[in-house]
Amino acid sequence: MRIVYAVVFVVGLAAILADHLTSPSNGRAVSPEDFVGACAPCGAPCPSVKK
Amino acid sequence: MTIATPVSAAAAAPAPAEAVRVDWLFLAAPVLATALLAALVLLDGQPRSAGLILAGFGLGIAFLKAEFSFTASWRRFLVRGEAGGLLAALLLIGVAAVVIVPVAALGRGFGGAIAPLGPSLVVGAFVFGIGMQLANGCGSGTLYTVGGGSGRMLIALAFFIAGSVIGSLHLPAFLALGGIDPILAADYLGPWGGLLATLASLALAAGVIAAIARRRGATVAPRRPLVVGAVAIGVLAIAAFLAGGHPWSVTFGLTVWGGKVAALTGFDLSGAEFWQWPGPKRALAESILTDTSSLTDFGMIFGAMAAAAASRPFARASWPPLPSLAAAAVGGLLMGWGARLGFGCNIGAFVGGVASGSLHGWVWFLAALAGCAIGIRLRPLFGLSRE
Repeated sequence: MRIVYAVVFVVGLAAILADHLTSPSNGRAVSPEDFVGACAPCGAPCPSVKK
Repeated sequence: MTIATPVSAAAAAPAPAEAVRVDWLFLAAPVLATALLAALVLLDGQPRSAGLILAGFGLGIAFLKAEFSFTASWRRFLVRGEAGGLLAALLLIGVAAVVIVPVAALGRGFGGAIAPLGPSLVVGAFVFGIGMQLANGCGSGTLYTVGGGSGRMLIALAFFIAGSVIGSLHLPAFLALGGIDPILAADYLGPWGGLLATLASLALAAGVIAAIARRRGATVAPRRPLVVGAVAIGVLAIAAFLAGGHPWSVTFGLTVWGGKVAALTGFDLSGAEFWQWPGPKRALAESILTDTSSLTDFGMIFGAMAAAAASRPFARASWPPLPSLAAAAVGGLLMGWGARLGFGCNIGAFVGGVASGSLHGWVWFLAALAGCAIGIRLRPLFGLSRE
């Protein structure tokens, strides 16, 4: 199990770094709730404004 | 008759001969990884992001050291009537609510955890409840037990991520079934009235839970470590709220991780409605280190790993039997799917929702508790104790 953990740790960290270095970034960390019309932590719209 | 020990406790409990052994490799690795991620976001000029990582790190330590388990607490209450764990969770929420309700209402750039009330919330929370009893850990529980060295929960996490991506594809159809907009106490009663109403609802729930425990002849008061853990986690949840602008959440980050893996392996999510909403669309396209949920998730795993490795040799246990691994997989899948439909887990929906004064938090709790009752009955199918 220890070896599995070591592999998962290295692969996971490498994936985080690769994603960060190859993806655009507008800087500030945000939550989907920060966007206009979001009605839930995942950014789902409110029933009252949904089409 | 004893309640099954949470995975975290099993993973964390040192054998006497190992009590003071530090696993330097697995202590240094998460500490350095945390420092590296914090340095990267600081290079981008984002001290609040670094704060989220560090808050997550502290949460991982607090959960592991207090063995704070929503799953085991709910099971103890349902099976034996013991109220201590549930009351500790309500204390945690009360601590967080004291800051979250008024600041979310009054502070510029802050907001509470809200969600619509409808079939999606109820179905999602119910399925999540089934899953958390099979997996033996909820969203936060999965993260800190993965960090704590449980290989079984690595399986649960992988399936949680897969389930949440599947759930993201189904969520719009469930939302189309209907529902009503979020109901937030502060919207009706103002920030301080909303806080009073939130604290009163917690007191009422605590009274009902304690009365049920007494009627069943079970213990009521939480153990001291749980009380200390609840206060520490509540304070750290406030820190995550102040750093991120919204209550701490866990599961959206896991959905984004799964979405990125899916996209990397050739699945086209661009046509999926969920991934066209501004928040998920941006999260999928941009760096994972700009998603608030992911930042605390990373910190939590690393914090728990460091705490575990500081007290014993890390991940030395053997793999559990196949049926137990199957339960972790099925439970993880159900939790991921349920979390997406139910707008979060114990943290994002229950803790965050109730601590924001949002009615959906209580609806989520009741539906998930009903799901737990089913999940407990299903545990023997996988060789797990009902207790």
